[in-house]
Amino acid sequence: GIRGTPPASPSGTFSRLQVVVERYQKEKTLPPLSRTKFLVSQDLPLSQFVVTLRTRLCLGSSQTFYLLVNNKGLPNMAVTMQELYADNKDEDGFLYLTYASQEMFG
Amino acid sequence: LFPATLTYDTLRFEYEDFPETKEPVWILGRKYSVFTEKEEILLDVTSRLWFTYRKNFPAIGGTGPTSDTGWGCMLRCGQMIFAQALVCRHLGRDWRWIKGKRQTDNYFNVLNAFIDKKDSYYSIHQIAQMGVGEGKSIGQWYGPNTVAQVLKKLATFDTWSSLAVHIAMDNTVVMEEIRRLCQSSFPCAGAAACSALGSDVLYNGCPGDAGVRDRLSPWKPLVLLIPLRLGLTEINEAYIETLKHCFMMPQSLGVIGGKPNSAHYFIGYVGE
Repeated sequence: GIRGTPPASPSGTFSRLQVVVERYQKEKTLPPLSRTKFLVSQDLPLSQFVVTLRTRLCLGSSQTFYLLVNNKGLPNMAVTMQELYADNKDEDGFLYLTYASQEMFG
Repeated sequence: LFPATLTYDTLRFEYEDFPETKEPVWILGRKYSVFTEKEEILLDVTSRLWFTYRKNFPAIGGTGPTSDTGWGCMLRCGQMIFAQALVCRHLGRDWRWIKGKRQTDNYFNVLNAFIDKKDSYYSIHQIAQMGVGEGKSIGQWYGPNTVAQVLKKLATFDTWSSLAVHIAMDNTVVMEEIRRLCQSSFPCAGAAACSALGSDVLYNGCPGDAGVRDRLSPWKPLVLLIPLRLGLTEINEAYIETLKHCFMMPQSLGVIGGKPNSAHYFIGYVGE
């Protein structure tokens, strides 16, 4: 999507998925993302999208990073972004994901 | 979900009465009836090792804290789940602590691995100091993954147990990684009992034929830790049934986690 607005498909939806990734408001460990809106190919596996986000946040492999949609974690990393989008998209056409690490306990 | 837990909130757990219910009680892969097996339930729970805040131990790092009150919660939970691994490894899941009964050397060896001094394998000193490498200064609160990462590192020095510790990141257990780890060639040095905590084997402890197994099997006993987040602010109910199933697995070592400000070690459940 670097050349501007992606073309709309005949059904009126984008050929790339509009995904918003937000940091959990009480998150203390993970840094914020420099940008939060993503255009993602439909056939991208969720696992690859997670790698992209981990890389952008400069996370080590032993740091926890959880993506959640509707307060529900995403245990199946094998689904494609299209499958995730179809099941969870908001009525405004965006898929909203929240990321968080683990809570700390004293 | 009735938490059968050992926490700082419910110190008198063992004296609390179980709800009179026909639902089975599950404790780390063992099923009990409240009506006919109350003694067995209490004996099983009493035999789990319990570690909590202590004060007046030798200063961490020579000049650091001498007490873990207020910060050591998750470190102690990590010790408890790992102590359960060592109990299964060296004493077996059927081992019970019986008042007045003389215990074997291995029981004391397990306790010594967690005693509050700098040279025990998994002491609060070792955990707090190894946590510095994970970005945690001494006295800082830990999450379950942090304590798991630290215990994994500490386990490499414990040649007595020679555990393979795997932490499955990103909600994903890769079987091939586990096979490679457990079949790695360096020898299984732990002498007394080579139990298998792995999912391919049904029993956690096997002190009886341990020597034979040590020689024949190149498979190192596995501790598999799966860090998860079950919700943002509260547990997502969709996970509850699966979570219960974890306590029904014979290999289960339990669950460490909790709610903000309070860490728990869960060893089973009864009813909803």
